[in-house]
Amino acid sequence: MPLSFPYVGTFTYVFESIARGMKRDDVIVPNEPTYRTKQLGSQVSSEFVCTPFKMLLGSIIEVLEQGAYEIVATVFVDYCRLGYYSPLYKIILEDLGYEFDLINLDWFDKVDFFRSFKKLACNVNAIQAFQAFRVGWIKNRYIDLIDKLLYSYGAVEIEKGTAYNVAHKLYRTVVETDGMKNVRMLPEIIQKTFDDQVEIDKELNPLKVGIVGELYAVVEPAINLDIMRRLNDIGVVAFTPITFTRWIDLGQRMNPFKKWHYKSCIKHAKPYVRYPLGGKTRESLGSVVEFKEQGWDGVIHLYPFTCMPEIISRSILPQVSREHDMPVLSLVLDEHTGEAGIQTRLEAFVDLLERKRNKGTGI
Amino acid sequence: MSKLETKIRVGIPRALLYYKYSDLWITFFKELGAEVIVSPKTTKKIKDDAVKLAPDEDCYSTKLYFGHAIALKDQVDFLFIPRYGGRRKKYVGCPKFIGLAEVLQSMLPELPDILMPHYNRGMDRSTRIGLVIKAFRLGKIFTKNPITRIRAITRAFRAQKIHERSLIIDEETLNRWENSETILNDFPIYNEKYKALKIALVGHSYVLNDPFSSLDIRSLLQEYGVDIITSEQMPRILIEKQMARLEYDIYFDYEREILGTIMHFLESKTVDGIIHLMIFSCGPDSIAGEIASRFSKRDTTIPLLQLVFDELTGEAGMRTRIEAFVDMLRRSIEKQTVFLTAQVHI
Repeated sequence: MPLSFPYVGTFTYVFESIARGMKRDDVIVPNEPTYRTKQLGSQVSSEFVCTPFKMLLGSIIEVLEQGAYEIVATVFVDYCRLGYYSPLYKIILEDLGYEFDLINLDWFDKVDFFRSFKKLACNVNAIQAFQAFRVGWIKNRYIDLIDKLLYSYGAVEIEKGTAYNVAHKLYRTVVETDGMKNVRMLPEIIQKTFDDQVEIDKELNPLKVGIVGELYAVVEPAINLDIMRRLNDIGVVAFTPITFTRWIDLGQRMNPFKKWHYKSCIKHAKPYVRYPLGGKTRESLGSVVEFKEQGWDGVIHLYPFTCMPEIISRSILPQVSREHDMPVLSLVLDEHTGEAGIQTRLEAFVDLLERKRNKGTGI
Repeated sequence: MSKLETKIRVGIPRALLYYKYSDLWITFFKELGAEVIVSPKTTKKIKDDAVKLAPDEDCYSTKLYFGHAIALKDQVDFLFIPRYGGRRKKYVGCPKFIGLAEVLQSMLPELPDILMPHYNRGMDRSTRIGLVIKAFRLGKIFTKNPITRIRAITRAFRAQKIHERSLIIDEETLNRWENSETILNDFPIYNEKYKALKIALVGHSYVLNDPFSSLDIRSLLQEYGVDIITSEQMPRILIEKQMARLEYDIYFDYEREILGTIMHFLESKTVDGIIHLMIFSCGPDSIAGEIASRFSKRDTTIPLLQLVFDELTGEAGMRTRIEAFVDMLRRSIEKQTVFLTAQVHI
């Protein structure tokens, strides 16, 4: 039965490589979400449900139209609506008359997780399936590395667009690499390719902006209108600590010496929000302090419309920003967000950062 | 006289969780010897203040909470805003309940000190004993006497228990209500021309019991000769039975109540119609409302009307909808059955 999954930013490549590792030849790779995807999802879902719900649903409908049958979804029991996505998709898609099988991967229930995983990996045995998953999480690190390099080289490249093209070739390389030995070579290849192929202006001292907020809003270019690339285009280095690594990367999770960005952020956020309340609230708040300490110039906070936990962080962010003298721009995104609006706000924010920096150095 | 003056004044905003735990909180603070000041019922002024100040994306009910907190600002020494995450294992409230106190503190630094005990059995590791210890520590502000504090805690819990016992009916009473042998809420005004209708009024307790935010829908229904049962009153055992039918767990505690009530009446068909009061941009409601409307479309015998409220809602719009809905139900009893599942913004 054809296997597919909704499109989630560059994490799609990780999905694809895991499916390849499990020797599934019938994988249907989802397309990047377009205007139609947003429309498809919004038409059939409740109007004030959060935007990721609508966009993922649209993406699922698109792959179902292409003939997929097994759809991978996740179930989280969190403070927010994420845990209802899959059950509700099932009801909605049943009403729409599609034939499908939603396979829920529950990250918190490890036994159940591997049981569902085994169901997906019908062509291979359990050890091979685990191996495929392991290769997947290792590749996820390298996909993150490409992202990181792309959005830093992109800001200082001489010919605009080179880094982007290089990165897209590298994503494919990562997906298509087989064998652990070759996979381990990838970081060197990635670094070298960027060094060789992207010509950069070494004299520039670009502004650096950290991007935090809700997971989907940060990782999916279709909802945030490719905000990181937009920042690059106006000569700003962008970086996001928010990736799937912390959930999928069991290797790093078991490493007690690993310094997690989000853990130190949570410590910083303690005076503002003491207890967990779902989403990335505490991380978003703490990131402002963390980025300030690391010498970054500003923070952009992204969240989808009606996201419950992020509204809380948005309400407290002005205080954090004031107390730590760190500029913060909160952007709320939904399926109607206009390009011009985002572009204007970004440019204004960057101008402000530039002025702040020049004042600081006395120029 | 001097003793009266030194009484510490504690303010409780009349919004959100107040409608569930008012007895618990008021008894607790009164027993400790504090003066409890509850904000007045929602008025237009409170709403206007709230909408001006609160974050744009917050739900209407949370916005109202801001208004109530401001209304209390100058009258009290402490504001009581608990960070509440849920009282049952695995089941959570709304994340906004946990963040409310901190958001208010951050947005309005001029507010009096906020007492914000944290209790979250749903996801965090809070325990019942932990709650008692927290309440005991909280009591220190008011009295040093440990016996008074313990007595306040036990009496508060007892008051809450009595409140819940009197609110939640048992299955037998529900049966009697379904057979028109008893009335659970206000007595509907009967008209000889019409037969009395039975409608289940479903929604969050802070919408059902706040005449301002629900535009006084209860007395409107009463006027039209409708006998109502609210989702708050439903026997828990029936709700759990309905929830067990689902393949997945609804982990928002209050949505269980709402969805369970709708599902129960869709199945038992003992009411003439269901009205679901939703609040705009309420996260849990968007999920429960969607599931409810899908179920209702699959089994269309009982009409379901979902009304979405926000700060711009007009009373005339709602009156028309309710009137139309009630008329439709009347006609469907006399002549032919009408199938309806509708969600309207009013």
